[in-house]
Amino acid sequence: MAETQNDGELVHRARRGDESAFGVLVERYQRAAYAVAYSVTGRHEDAQDAAQESFLVALRRLEECRSPERFAGWLMTIVRNRARNLVRRESLREMEQVPMGASSSTPTPDRVTETRELRASLRKALAELPEMQREIVLLHDLEGWKHREIADRLGLPAGTVRSHLHFARKALREVLSASPQDADRRSGK
Amino acid sequence: MSQLEKGLEGATDELGRDIEVAELLGSLSPSVEDPTYWMRFKAQVLRAASTELARRRMMADVTVADVLTSWARAIVPTAVLAAALAGMILLRAHTVPIAAPARVEELLVAGMEGETIPTTLSRTEAETQIAFAAERF
Repeated sequence: MAETQNDGELVHRARRGDESAFGVLVERYQRAAYAVAYSVTGRHEDAQDAAQESFLVALRRLEECRSPERFAGWLMTIVRNRARNLVRRESLREMEQVPMGASSSTPTPDRVTETRELRASLRKALAELPEMQREIVLLHDLEGWKHREIADRLGLPAGTVRSHLHFARKALREVLSASPQDADRRSGK
Repeated sequence: MSQLEKGLEGATDELGRDIEVAELLGSLSPSVEDPTYWMRFKAQVLRAASTELARRRMMADVTVADVLTSWARAIVPTAVLAAALAGMILLRAHTVPIAAPARVEELLVAGMEGETIPTTLSRTEAETQIAFAAERF
């Protein structure tokens, strides 16, 4: 039932200490929070820390969320600031890192290598994008948020979101096309 | 054909969700290597938030109880005091005798000790001046 409730209701319940309501909010926005944090930090560990800490900060400051129905946008602002602070100050990690567990299906060595290479290329490509474009392309193409959702939640005009997305994709493709790994693959090396 | 090549070939300039780009970016998700990652992420956040959630629950409980307690604190002693005062007033009202109205004669002799009220002469004696003059106080 809580899963179908809107953010406003969940925030009101979380303010009274309702763990299940807060849990739904975490589940609903953990991926987006991670994506936003990753777009700032570019590192898994930092993104994870920033995203997790942001949920705790948001919980402590729930009364400051003046429009509970716009919780997502408010949360993303916290995540962004937290991630920036993390990068800027290289603060010590307060939260225990979630260890990367073993996958249920064991990939083949070739597959592992390919995934690693792909990740490295993507990280490099993403790193060359402006932060806002990174954030938008991750929220849209990775998390599946719609233009309107991104615009509403980040407080941006829809046209700006579309524009950022367009340029982010274009830049991403250009960088990935020009990557040596990709060139090697194309030439059959 | 690699994921990357597939992604690049399938990429379009459409601004709908680009499945290929999504797949490419999806490789950055921590859940690729660990399908239970998000479940554990949530559990870890909730574990870290348990103290704050408990504090909030307590505050919510205290708020209701606080209102009742504050009412009790303010109203009960006031009511007891008011009742005690009212009781005292009522008791006093019943025990204090009602002062009898003083008679005119008593008021006239008040403070005149040793002086007696002249005995009224008999009608026959009073009729004479001598008798009246012989009257002594």
